[in-house]
Amino acid sequence: MPAVEVHQFAQCITCHAWSPDRTMIAFCPNNTEVHIYKFNVDKWDRIHVLYKHDQLISGIDWSLRSNKIVTASHDRNSYVWNQEGSEWVPTLVILRLNRAALCVQWSPQENKFAVGSGAKTVCVCYYEQENNWWVSKLVRKRHDSSITSVAWHPDNIFLATTSTDGKCRVFSTFIKGVDTKDLGASSSRDSKFGEQIVQLDLSSSWAFGVKWSPSGNTLAYAGHNSTIYFVEDVCSSTFAQNVAYRNLPLRDVGQHPFFVPVHLLFFGFLHRYLDALSIYFDAFAVNVLFVSERIVVGAGFDCSPMIFTKDETGLWSFVKFLEERKTAPSNSKYGSQFSEAFGKLYGQSRYGVNSDTRNSHENLITCIVPLRKEGDNLVRRFSTSGLDGKVVIWELDDMDFP
Amino acid sequence: MANTLRLYLTCIRNTLEAAMCLQNFPCQEVERHNKPEVELKTSPELLLNPVLICRNEAEKCLIETSINSIRISMKVKQADELENILAKKFLRFLSMRAEAFQVLRRKPVQGYDISFLITNYHCEDMHKNKLIDFIVQFMEDIDKEISELKLSVNTRGRLVATEFLKQFI
Repeated sequence: MPAVEVHQFAQCITCHAWSPDRTMIAFCPNNTEVHIYKFNVDKWDRIHVLYKHDQLISGIDWSLRSNKIVTASHDRNSYVWNQEGSEWVPTLVILRLNRAALCVQWSPQENKFAVGSGAKTVCVCYYEQENNWWVSKLVRKRHDSSITSVAWHPDNIFLATTSTDGKCRVFSTFIKGVDTKDLGASSSRDSKFGEQIVQLDLSSSWAFGVKWSPSGNTLAYAGHNSTIYFVEDVCSSTFAQNVAYRNLPLRDVGQHPFFVPVHLLFFGFLHRYLDALSIYFDAFAVNVLFVSERIVVGAGFDCSPMIFTKDETGLWSFVKFLEERKTAPSNSKYGSQFSEAFGKLYGQSRYGVNSDTRNSHENLITCIVPLRKEGDNLVRRFSTSGLDGKVVIWELDDMDFP
Repeated sequence: MANTLRLYLTCIRNTLEAAMCLQNFPCQEVERHNKPEVELKTSPELLLNPVLICRNEAEKCLIETSINSIRISMKVKQADELENILAKKFLRFLSMRAEAFQVLRRKPVQGYDISFLITNYHCEDMHKNKLIDFIVQFMEDIDKEISELKLSVNTRGRLVATEFLKQFI
């Protein structure tokens, strides 16, 4: 069984994050609070409740080295929480947003964090020592809709965003005085703040859950049309690949994934076709996670994580669900006439009501967090949380690694 | 159940299963608001293509989807004037008690008899497949209910007429 632990913490969880040593978990139980639980001998105890926001908290991230928590909320604010003694002390971050903040992530060096918002802007915040506050710099007028997710490139400069206009964009967030030019001769350090490096127009529907691979070579994000997009070498010679999953209309694309340089990928007709069909799919991923350079886990409306892998030739493909959906056989699937009559006798309306599903998650999975050990670039364990209020820890066994 | 009705309902069920993928999404236009986008229709990029499922001209179901809400409108069969008035009265009775149903809309969408509005909040509290079951069950029962009502109106009419005409014997 890949699901190692299942914890029912609340009615509904919007997002969660783990402490650096993995003994504490912070999550938002679908309201204005952040609850922090600690594992004590054999059970989870609530040790802190952070109140400060006055609307739903949409994002939490816990920095690995500096042990700070950043929260983003629909009330347009963000707080950085610092542990002083046994207390968590909040510092308000003036984001200068006029709409809800939707997602937040610490940069790899933890000197910056990015907030995506409903105001169609991305805020990059950094700490200013002399004034003792967090300053926010905005990337404006680049997005046409709300930003659903942000991801930092390992170089601490590039920031990828996905938004509900279906596009994935990569920006440079070089801030003078915060980032130093001498670190490596990477080209990323030559670009100005807010400069758009690339815009990927692959999805015809809303894009969610962008992630970089550990090396930063591959970018993956999910579209609401049941397709996951993989983009290799984003900054130099970009190659994109779509994987449409489930045996529904666009299977062809999934069976013969194509490689096209991204600047040629503007097929208007294909997009319209996708758009018309998009809602006929029944499996949507909203979140992706790179386990290694070659394995990606996606999770979403199917309530079970899906595994995608890359083979030697560089082709990405869907492998399996980590947990098969167990559904009661439904009346509508009865084949023979006899069983049809049988179905008619026993309550005509009872099509497979899957009331007895025993899956780990029973509702939309909104958040995947890797449980990475220090110095290990292979993630064997990860946790997911969803609208059913559970946090599930999954472990990949050796069979999952090709 | 007639075979065509089963096909019709299966089609609606499958479409709903695909379409009911909702998530919390705050308003892009108004500060600190959170509203069903399918009702506001202020940002076209947040809406998906609506799906219309028709059994025949008189019976159809329109499913409109957005990022955080889905609206299901249906037109029920009205073969004659009596059915028409029965359906109107009955569905009005239900719409007036919309709170009790949670997902029922107080006013149907223009051109339809009854509408449901399901938001991400309903999906957080209730199981998705139970919600779909409710809608499909409702559609199945409404026809039954109306033909039963029609039958009892006719029976009652016949009885009243008999009683009335008895005095002339």
